[in-house]
Order: sequence, then C-alpha cells, then structure tokens
Amino acid sequence: MRIRLERRGEVPLYVYILAPTGAFLLAFLMGAFLMLWAGASPIKGYGAFLRGAFGGLKPFTNTLLRATPFLLMATGISLSNRSNVLNIGAEGQYIMGAIAMTWIAVLMQNSVPGFIVILVGVILAVIVGALWAGAAGYLKAKMGINEVVVTVMLNWVAIMLLKWLLRGPLKDPRSQQWPMSPPIGPHLPYIYGNLNLGFVIAVLLAIAIWYVLFRTNIGFKLRACGENPRAARYAGFNVEGMLILSMLISGAMAGMAGAFDVIGTFHILYEGIVVGLGYTSIIVALVGKNHPLAVIGSAIMFGAIYNGVTSMQSVTQLSYTLSKCIEGMIYLFFLISEFLVLYRIRLIRGDAS
Amino acid sequence: MSEVAPGQVVLEVRGIVKRFPGVVANDHVDLQVRAGEVLALLGENGAGKTTLMNIIYGLYTPDEGEIYVMGRRVHIRGPKDAISLGIGMVHQHFMQVEELTVLENIILGLREFGIILDTEKAKRMLEEAFQRYGLRVDPDAYIWQLSAGEKQRVEIMKALFRGAKILILDEPTSVLTPQETKELFKTLRKFVEGGMAVIFITHKLQEVMEVADRIVVMRRGKVVGRLMREEATIPQLARLMVGREVLFRIEKGEARPGEVVLRVEGLRAMSDKGVEAVKGITFSVRKGEIVGVAGVAGNGQKELVEVLYGLRRPTAGRVTLFGKDVTGEPTHRIIKFGISLIPEERVTMGIVPTFSVADNLILEIVDREPFSQKVFDGLRKLSFENIEKYAEELIRKFDIRTPSSKTKAGYLSGGNIQKLILARELSRGAYLIIADQPTAGLDVGATEFIRNLLVKARDSGNAVFLVSGDLSEVLSLSDRVMVMYEGEITAVFRPGELPIEEIGLYMLGAKKMPKEEVERFWE
Ligand SMILES: Nc1ncnc2c1ncn2[C@@H]1O[C@H](COP(=O)(O)OP(=O)(O)OP(=O)(O)O)[C@@H](O)[C@H]1O
Ligand SMILES: [Mg+2]
Repeated sequence: MRIRLERRGEVPLYVYILAPTGAFLLAFLMGAFLMLWAGASPIKGYGAFLRGAFGGLKPFTNTLLRATPFLLMATGISLSNRSNVLNIGAEGQYIMGAIAMTWIAVLMQNSVPGFIVILVGVILAVIVGALWAGAAGYLKAKMGINEVVVTVMLNWVAIMLLKWLLRGPLKDPRSQQWPMSPPIGPHLPYIYGNLNLGFVIAVLLAIAIWYVLFRTNIGFKLRACGENPRAARYAGFNVEGMLILSMLISGAMAGMAGAFDVIGTFHILYEGIVVGLGYTSIIVALVGKNHPLAVIGSAIMFGAIYNGVTSMQSVTQLSYTLSKCIEGMIYLFFLISEFLVLYRIRLIRGDAS
Repeated sequence: MSEVAPGQVVLEVRGIVKRFPGVVANDHVDLQVRAGEVLALLGENGAGKTTLMNIIYGLYTPDEGEIYVMGRRVHIRGPKDAISLGIGMVHQHFMQVEELTVLENIILGLREFGIILDTEKAKRMLEEAFQRYGLRVDPDAYIWQLSAGEKQRVEIMKALFRGAKILILDEPTSVLTPQETKELFKTLRKFVEGGMAVIFITHKLQEVMEVADRIVVMRRGKVVGRLMREEATIPQLARLMVGREVLFRIEKGEARPGEVVLRVEGLRAMSDKGVEAVKGITFSVRKGEIVGVAGVAGNGQKELVEVLYGLRRPTAGRVTLFGKDVTGEPTHRIIKFGISLIPEERVTMGIVPTFSVADNLILEIVDREPFSQKVFDGLRKLSFENIEKYAEELIRKFDIRTPSSKTKAGYLSGGNIQKLILARELSRGAYLIIADQPTAGLDVGATEFIRNLLVKARDSGNAVFLVSGDLSEVLSLSDRVMVMYEGEITAVFRPGELPIEEIGLYMLGAKKMPKEEVERFWE
C-alpha cells in the first residue's frame, strides 16, 4: 500500500467548496479535543466563538474592524504575489507604519488639528512601509537577492526598532514601567461602534487594485511579468520595474494598515501590536487566491476567526496560548485544504497494473 | 519486462477518447506498437498526437478507452506507473534543472524507483550506457552548458535509465541540427534492433521516410491513415495530414529591394556562457527583401537576434534603422521603431501560458488604440471587446486551432502556439520582421502558409531577416543569404549562386570567404 500525491488537472468546483469547509470542521473538531483536555466545554467555547464573530451588529462590526489590517495587507501581498515576489515582510512594514503614525502624533497632536495629524501620519506610514518593502524589491530586482530572506530580516529590524523606541524617544514619560507611547488622541471617524472609516478605505483600495490588476494595461503587464518574466521582457515590459512597483504598493498597504490600527483600534503604540497579523495576511491572500475581490471575503473570514477565538478564550477561561493554538490550527488546516485543492491523494494497492 | 520477440505488440491502445473544454483531442483512437519498430506518428497541428502520448505516459486520464502493455490491460495513473511499465517519454517542450550536472539530472529521482546509487557507480553505469548506444554527453557538464541536442540526449538517457522499453519522442528533431538528427536516427535504429519500440512524432516528412518502419497519420483527433513506410510517398502523407493537396511550393517573384532598413556594422556580443558569440559582423537588410542566415544552430544566431531586439547588449559595433543609431536601445523602444521578432523559444519566450489566446495576441501592443484607452498618463483601460475582435480575426486568418479566444494559450498544441506568435508578430505593422525558426513545429500546411506570408510581407515592402536551421527553407525564401559560423559571416551569396555542397563547407567552417568580399556584398 502506497500513498501518492498527484496534481489535479482541472479542479472541480466541489473541491473548491469542500476543501475549506472540511478544513474548518476538522480544525474545530481538533480544537474541541483540546478544549476537553483543558477542562473546558467545547459547546460553550464554540458558542462564544460564533457570538464573538457574528452574534449581532456589534460583534460583526468588530469583526470588520479586525478584518481591516488583514484586508489591507493581504491585498498588497496579492499584488506582489501576482508579480512573483513574495512579501513575507508585511509584519515589519505594518510595524513601521504604526511607528511612523505614532511618531507624527506624538510630535504634532498638541499643536495642530487631528485630521492633519492623521493625514500627515498616514502619508508618512505609507511611505515608510513602501520603502521597507521596496528595499527588498530593489535588492531582488537589481542584485537577485532573495526577497524572502530580506523581508524576514527587515521584520526583525522593525520589531527591535519598535522595542527601542518604546523605551526611548517614543516612551510616554508618565508611564513609569511599561514601554508604551503616550495616548494618541486623533482617531479615524467612526461608522458604527468601534468600526471606523479604515475598513471602507480598505475595501475601496481592494476594489481599486483589482481594477488596476485586471482591467488596465499596468495590471496586464504586471501579471505578465509575474507569470513569465522572459516573455514579458521579450514583449518590452520592464520586469524589474514592475517587481519594485508591486513591492512598493504592497509595503504601502501594510504601512497604512499599521497606521490605521494605531489611530483606529489601539490609540496607543505598545509591543502588543506585534501578534503576527502580517504573517496571517499571507494566508489571507492565499485563501483569496491572490484576487483582491476574493481577498475582501477571506479577510472578513479571518477577522471573524480572530475575534471568535478571543471571545472563546474569555468565556471558557482557556489560556491565551491554548486559544492561539486553536487559531493556529485553523490556519494550518486551511493551508492543507489549499494544497488538497491542487493535489489529490491516492492510495495504491500493489503494483500499477 | 521479459524478453519479447520482434514484431510482438508491446503497446496497444483501443478506443481512446479525450475531451478538453471545447475540443475532442482524441476521438476513438486505436494504435498498436510493436517491438523492434519505429512508429512515426504524423498529423497536423492540434491533431491530438501529444495528447495521445500524454495519455500513454499517464499525464492525462482518458475519458474512454483501454491501454494494453504486453497484452495486459493496464491503468496508467501517472508517469511513475508508465515508467514501471517500461514506457519512457521525451516531451515536446521538456524542462531540465539548468544548475545541475548531466549526471545529477539523470539520477535525479531514481531513488523513487528503489535504486540508490553512489555517484561513482552511477557515472560508470552512465558511461557504459553511452558506449552501448553511441550517445555521448559529458556527465559532469552542467545542463546550461549543453546544446539543444545534448539536452535531448540527456532526456533520452533519463528514460533509458528508468528502464524504458517503449520510448516516446515528441518532435525531437525540431530543436536539432541536421547532424544531430542523423545521430539521433542512428541511435533509434540501435534501440529498435535491441528489441525496443520507438514512437516518433515529427512534421518533417523526409525524416519519416528515413527512419520510420510504420506510419500512423492523425487528423482532428482521429486516425486517418496507417501505412508501411515502403508504401508511403511524401505528397500522399501530406495530403493525409492536412486533408488537401500541399504544393510544397512558394510563390515568389523577383525581389524589388528598396532603401536600407537595417544596417549592422562590426557587431560583437557575448553569450550567456561568457564567451564571444558574435564576432564583428556586418550586413544590411533592405526594404522588400528577405535576408536569410544559414548555419548550424549555436553559431551566434541566437545572440545576434537578441542584440537586434534589445534583449542583449552588444559589446561593440553599431546597429542603425533607416540610418538612425539604435545600438543598445531597450526592447520596448525597438518594438516602437517597428521591429517584430518571432523567437526561437516559443513557450518560454513567446507566450504567457496562463494568459488567454486573445491577451497573448496583443501582448506587445496592449498600449495601443483600440486595445486600450488612456485614463491618464501611463494608465490605460483595456478594451476587451476590441481585443477579442482583433483576436477572432487573427485566429481565423492564421487558422489557430483553439476552442476560443479565451482559452489559455498554454493549452494550445505546440504548432498552434507557434501560429499564435506568428499571427501576432506578422500583424502588428512592423516593417522589419526578424523570424527565428519561423516554421519549427508547424505542419506542412501551416509551413507553406507561413512561408508564403513572409514572401508577401516582403512584396508589400517589408524587410525580413530570416534565421533557420532548415537550409532548404533559407535557400527557397531568401534573396540574399549569409552563412554564420562561430560568430562570423563565412559566406554571402544569392540562392542558386553556390552549390549545396559548398554551402555546407562554409557552414562547417571548412571554407571562408575573405572579409572584404563579405562586406562589399552588402554595399
Ligand atoms: N491541457 C489541455 N487543456 C485544454 N486543451 C488542450 C490541452 N492539451 C491539449 N489541448 C487541445 O487538444 C488538441 C490537441 O492538442 P495536441 O497537443 O495533442 O496536438 P498535437 O497533435 O500534438 O499538435 P502539434 O503538432 O501542434 O504539437 C488541441 O486543440 C489543444 O488545444
Ligand atoms: Mg504536439
């Protein structure tokens, strides 16, 4: 008896639907065992999960709020994936965006109107994020240096920079022990409850990027460069330029996500913003098939998972690590289901004939 | 597999049907292959040859039909099954890991078959096998250092090392020089004398007459003819293939050359391997003429073409277009100047396989009206309607066999991909057409069509620069010919001025015209 993987030719529609659904169910089943083991009730836990994610207008708007950074970053990642550069560094670009926004706020919020602080801060965050990713793009385009290595390293630089700033220049003088910035007053306009304009902007940007990618000459060339660089070069397209451009935009989106979280969700800068949203966004882009419109859906789904797990944790008194473990499991099963969409597993008895 | 008697049926397919969206690629195909024979599989572009072979090799599952190996019904679910049944295949567009050595490529993955080799032992076995079949490639050479013919030998060895007794070769000669083709045929004869069976796909009918024992002809997914080589003639095969009379004739009148379009002076360029591949060559192409390059592949033609198209930087020399210096201009400028290129490497360079046929047909002209409209500087909105209309027109005119203009170009058959590229490059209004192996992989009907089209382009005042490994193609199409050998022009002449034998001497570097004579020829 052998097990073998085969690439599927055409993927039937039912696989596209069954695989992620199955992934969800399996992950929940495993999560249930974990909860039982930890002495919690899975029924109570999942009840809280659903309530936390979708149970009413307020939880749902919270889900959308949570989805906002996912949507911004995953849209950017989709774009760079399309031109065949892997941006593993959304995490770092997000942090840099958050730092830039905070810095501007700390510097200006006592002297100029809030909306100017926001405007300047977001623009700076976008630029810093773009440069953080663009650097990796540039090194890849001009010197062939692997972008995965560079973006991951830049993530660490961003994290260390954050830690240092929070203990130095950006530290709130009134907070004695905790490394955190002063509170940030200016905030994005609210739509309902905690949900702010950031989500709307993210959706509009996803639509805009979809449009550019699939309806304009620039997207046409960018996709051609990603799909077959040799043919693109032969067609006279600027392959290196497209690569750098897509990384700049990808980084800009992540920088914006960091800024939006500071002025929309946290209203302060602290180390707790580093929870791997940038890495999760890579999966969000993957589940959304690198298609900005589909990414809107997958970002909302991942926002729901994130909030569901948080509410599950508070209701069942599960430890933070265990609930994060369940969350990680859901992501893992998703990845496996993605794989199963492309490949099928065959059990083979005896020889081939 | 145990010993088989010559003539015994080793492989048989019955009633094979394979449908793809919008097309029946194989329509109840029956085929028998016997030990000790070379079976030539012929058919027009898109007839379903590659599909059938992919089914036998386990890459596609047939919708209907049965496969028998050694008289036993088998279900081939993947290449591994095929290999364990003794079936090996060398693909039409095969891929190799360029950074590995020959040896590593051949033993790559052998472990999956339960054969674990240490390098020394593997090398000895390889040398032995090379000896036995008269094939030779340096086991320690890297793949990127090899010629197309050598790469192919590596693929063949790979199949043999996995124990192939039935060897499928999909258009193996389209990348080979005439010399390499001869050697391949010798090897194939050795294989079949040793009891193997070979299935050989080609569009070159002379090759069929040379090497085949039996011939099967396909058209539109069906087998339309089975003959022994002795009873076949070339015109008859051509008629069977395309369903009409093929004239093998080019309607070509006197050239009326006009002003100089392209002028190249003292051009030099390096190859990827870092050696000088183009060594100071000078020539020109005029309006209304076809200048052909004869020569064995790998003598600098590829690098020359790339320099002309802005894909490679020259190290010295000058290129002018209508007297304007364009040396070292990037490709997008070259395209704007009105130059077309039909590249030799069609799948890796000529198309974006995941894009639709329509998108591939406007690849370089996506920025032009009416295919896109300006939104603001640099950003243009695509007009799918106009792109599609244009694509439909080219598909019809060039007889590109595709279910629709929306089909992904990578799904087309090899010859139809070539037709797509030709359609695009000949239709976008260029006045200099660089054609590198334009008819490689085309069936006889399409070949005739394209050759006539190149002549027509010439007659309507375009300049054509033709590079081809097929000497008879160069001689029949060109108005002036240059022979390239090791990066230099060793001879210049007009077709008919020199006997074939003498051209051969120039092509092999055994003879060389004086430099002054060569340069005076282009005045
Ligand atoms: N994977 C695929 N998906 C969809 N259509 C396909 C696929 N493979 C082949 N086809 C279609 O099947 C038909 C037969 O193609 P095939 O490659 O077998 O032709 P062929 O005889 O090898 O032609 P050529 O001489 O041009 O190589 C073509 O119309 C092609 O477009
Ligand atoms: Mg084929």
